[in-house]
Amino acid sequence: MFEARLLRSSILKKVLEAIKDLLTQATFDCDDNGIQLQAMDNSHVSLVSLTLRADGFDKYRCDRNISMGMNLGSMSKILKCAGDKDTVTMKAQDNADTVTFVFESPNQEKVSDYEMKLMNLDLEHLGIPETEYSCTIRMPSGEFARICRDLSQFGESMVISCTKEGVKFSASGDIGSANIKLAQTASIDKEEEAVVIEMDEPVTLTFACQYLNYFTKATSLSPQVQLSMSADVPLVVEYRIPDIGHIRYYLAPKIEEDDS
Amino acid sequence: MGILGLSKLIADIAPMAVKETEIKNYFGRKVAIDASMSLYQFLIAVRSQGAQLTSVDGETTSHLMGTFYRTIRLIEDGIKPVYVFDGKPPDMKSHQLNKRAERREEAEKELQKATEAGDTASMDKFNRRLVKVTQQHGSEARQLLKLMGIPVVEAPCEAEAQCAELVKGGKVYAVATEDMDALTFGANVLLRHLTFSEARKMPVQEFHLDQVLRGLELEQTEFIDLCILLGCDYCGSIKGIGPKRAIELIKQHRSIEQVLHNIDTKKYTPPENWEYENARRLFQQPEVTEAKDVELKWSDPDEEGLVKFLCGDKQFNEERVRNGAKKLMKARTGTTQGRLDGFFKVLSTTPNPKRKAEEDKKSANKKAKTPGRGRKPK
Repeated sequence: MFEARLLRSSILKKVLEAIKDLLTQATFDCDDNGIQLQAMDNSHVSLVSLTLRADGFDKYRCDRNISMGMNLGSMSKILKCAGDKDTVTMKAQDNADTVTFVFESPNQEKVSDYEMKLMNLDLEHLGIPETEYSCTIRMPSGEFARICRDLSQFGESMVISCTKEGVKFSASGDIGSANIKLAQTASIDKEEEAVVIEMDEPVTLTFACQYLNYFTKATSLSPQVQLSMSADVPLVVEYRIPDIGHIRYYLAPKIEEDDS
Repeated sequence: MGILGLSKLIADIAPMAVKETEIKNYFGRKVAIDASMSLYQFLIAVRSQGAQLTSVDGETTSHLMGTFYRTIRLIEDGIKPVYVFDGKPPDMKSHQLNKRAERREEAEKELQKATEAGDTASMDKFNRRLVKVTQQHGSEARQLLKLMGIPVVEAPCEAEAQCAELVKGGKVYAVATEDMDALTFGANVLLRHLTFSEARKMPVQEFHLDQVLRGLELEQTEFIDLCILLGCDYCGSIKGIGPKRAIELIKQHRSIEQVLHNIDTKKYTPPENWEYENARRLFQQPEVTEAKDVELKWSDPDEEGLVKFLCGDKQFNEERVRNGAKKLMKARTGTTQGRLDGFFKVLSTTPNPKRKAEEDKKSANKKAKTPGRGRKPK
């Protein structure tokens, strides 16, 4: 028996919004510790890693580890049926081939349940090595979303360059070029609005705007976003979901052509 | 042509081994293309009102049209193609080649009949059957590819074998061909429909040899024997043994020798002087240039050269050719998107319990393999 209850359905709704454009289907691996999801997009350029800890749920029970393959489009449709303030409960029997979502309105007057068929997915699990990153940048998530949106008008790819002075985002294309520089916030009044840069070595990497724009769909989950970069390895974009877990996106950089 | 009924057999017994994906998911991959196969496709498919495209003096140009535009399309999708041309056919193929020649003669006769009768539908049909990739087509395509900056590899013998060697040696990711031989030659990844027209919206089929072998529960040598039983280009097969019998027999007896020993040869007569051993050797040790001796180099396209070669007599539109050259150039200057699987290692592939259960049902004597994760199969 698996059962997980969240007082506010909005978290789950937002999580789905944050992944459903990148992935069409994914496996939710549930065990004692909580729910995990790891999946690459179809073209194997990016990876989503989602963790929802058991203690973040209002009620969490998982007798046997189960893996539920879900069509994220369908799941998203179901979650759209829930009100933001509704309580949501996910339920599944041990060997079930369906999962049930129960939504209860705050005053308990309305209870709706939706059953969804599970899928059998053969997805590749990737081992992500522990990496010490040369640069980590923490900044307001809204600001990052804005930068990605603005720069994607100029070109398909964006250069992120992190130095002592700050972080620079740039793009260029047919209409011209664009550069956005952010300096470290001098005095931190509000932590949520701060730009904090930790750097061992300067790094410059190029990424596809399209994917970054997919990642920023997670903006509403967290006021801050953290970017981690090292030369020649994938970028990590992390959104911490308050009290329950995090969502991490990995994106392979664009590389210079070589003829070998 | 390739191995008779192998793709269907794989789809039936080892569906796990076949994946269908979009062409754009192959960005950044190097792919070896069997040139004669793709030229043949172009000669058949690239037509205008049923007739091949020709130059002023009636020389066919369909193959050039196809090679030019479809290669550009691959490159725009970020794929790096290598064309591999056939060398001399192996002696053992002569029988097969004779048969093909006979069939062509027949088709020619039929075509004459149809022309006399004025039956345009069958005229078209037999016309297509007469299509043959000639030396000249090959050399023109080579010249074009050189101008486009695409590497060309000359196989000493069979192109498929050479493609497979390139995959095995890690020079390229996959072989693109329609023939299933490449798997028999040991190429781990085979792509079908890669050079098909975009308009056909045909997904690319990806075959993985290791999964084929796992699905069929065979070793590579047993797989080769299976292919010979199914019918290959190099020798005959036993009459009356179809794909189903063939896989059963190989699974039971594990080699052609044992199969011959155990079946009633009166009922199923093997061909006279059956050279299956030689065919097997040909698949195991084909005549190829070693992958480490092959250098693949993509270079800038020669726009003026292309215009000179394709326009004029060959009646290509100059503007389109120049545009094509620009596209090739653009693809070279840009950066390529890296692949995540190049950075992170695949730890495990979640097996698919449900599909496996169906497989098990199909062949009841099959042993249960790794148990499904978590959920029990239905």
